[in-house]
Amino acid sequence: MEIDMERNNNRKRPASTDLPLQWSQWQLLDSILPTGGFAHSSGLEAAIQTRVITGPEDLHTFVVHVLENTGSLLLPFVYTASKSPSADTLCKLDRMLDAMLTNEVGRKASVAQGSALMRVAASVFSEIPLLKTMRDNFLSSGAVSFHHAPIFGLVCGLLGFESETSQRAFMFITLRDVISAATRLNIVGPLGAAALQHQIAHDAEAITEKWSNRGVEEACQTVPLLDTVQGCHGYLFSRLFCS
Amino acid sequence: METGKIVIEKVRGKSTVTKSFSKYPLKFIIPRKVGPSRVDAVWIYALTYGGGIVSGDDISCKLEIGAGCTAVLTTQASTKVYKSLGSKCSEQSLEAEIGSNSMLVLIPDPVTCFSTARYFQKQVFRVRSDSNLVLVDWITSGRHESGEKWDFTHYKSTNNIFLESDQPLFLDTVLLEQGSIVPLAERMQDYQVIAMVVLLGPMLRHIQGQVQEDVKRMMAKQLQGSPARWDRQMKSNTRRRGYCSNSFLDNRISLSIPEASIGWLGGIAGFVALFLKNGR
Repeated sequence: MEIDMERNNNRKRPASTDLPLQWSQWQLLDSILPTGGFAHSSGLEAAIQTRVITGPEDLHTFVVHVLENTGSLLLPFVYTASKSPSADTLCKLDRMLDAMLTNEVGRKASVAQGSALMRVAASVFSEIPLLKTMRDNFLSSGAVSFHHAPIFGLVCGLLGFESETSQRAFMFITLRDVISAATRLNIVGPLGAAALQHQIAHDAEAITEKWSNRGVEEACQTVPLLDTVQGCHGYLFSRLFCS
Repeated sequence: METGKIVIEKVRGKSTVTKSFSKYPLKFIIPRKVGPSRVDAVWIYALTYGGGIVSGDDISCKLEIGAGCTAVLTTQASTKVYKSLGSKCSEQSLEAEIGSNSMLVLIPDPVTCFSTARYFQKQVFRVRSDSNLVLVDWITSGRHESGEKWDFTHYKSTNNIFLESDQPLFLDTVLLEQGSIVPLAERMQDYQVIAMVVLLGPMLRHIQGQVQEDVKRMMAKQLQGSPARWDRQMKSNTRRRGYCSNSFLDNRISLSIPEASIGWLGGIAGFVALFLKNGR
């Protein structure tokens, strides 16, 4: 009896190598990490000013649309980069995504966030010197734009996260950033935002499952209007966000 | 085996069709006099027997445009995609090679997918640094007079442009599929048409510039005045769609077509800006 109980206890505890990884995971998803994601509203600001969003139900719908389009367009890049976190793969993915992000506002936002993430990851996760080496090489060659989704996948892959976790994490930070933008744009209060984020989590998981583990040749836009709304951002007179 | 192939070369200083082949269900009509005679351009009309694409049809077409030539490829009427039988998908693909200092103007009528239709379209363009391309790719919500609004099952359209064979310049795939998480009609809101227009190449610089100016002006007008202020106390269920359905704009073009409050959007300026910036 006692031996059985001990065995059960041992089975419940995660392997000791996984635990430091969880700390890194949580740090990567924490909004306090200085990756500049908060300068971008994923087209939310433009959607409000162009009156695409006029009420709280619109906000809920908009956020789900953002997640769907992110899943269909960007998850394949996160997946591929996390499965094969090498400089070669990253260059190919970066070039391809650069040609796919045809809306200039979205393209610039992706580059800004990717560059910041690469810089932070190279300094913070010093146990992986490859991050710093890659970054230095990319900067000197100028061949890489540092798009966000592939860099995110690369960092996750090098840190040792499973690709499913990496993809879910990318969707999580997308949700996190839009909700945060909604709060700062005063569409919803902090408590309301937190409740909304929790409500949407169910759809977010379904969307993640639907678009996970696909090759980049399958990447596509499923909510074309979103791409168009985000593109408006450059024409706004007064703006809080970069995109 | 292709369903159709056309080769255009300069013969005695004029763009000329030197090879034209098509087989069922595709047919090419190449009328001799379309534009004014001082304009050197070949006009090609692509038709399908029966006026539409039937479930399971697979149409592939190759287009080679030699140096210094101009070709226009269009349709006689909108491309109707009939309902899918047994979940079969209809496919159309086009591969075009646009030579140096040439121009391809691809301006078909829009695609209209009937209820339950499944359709996939892929267009690949290989260009040189001084090639020119006008590409219009658009789709309507369906037979909306019959109440079919975004009622088809699956529509996927891919447009890829490669520079010097292998450098990806523009890769765009739109997938509109009935889905349970985000219903298609909801994603398209009140729009009945969605279009994408690409203007590429040195010969089109003046049009690119004009388009950007026009869009800037239209956007400034639309966004003038106080930006929509958000009132958290406001629990409005009536959606003010007047703005959106007629003149939704961004760095792409939007024009209102008076007949049925259709708004159509074309994606240009982002792409154009890319080109102007890189000086290609």
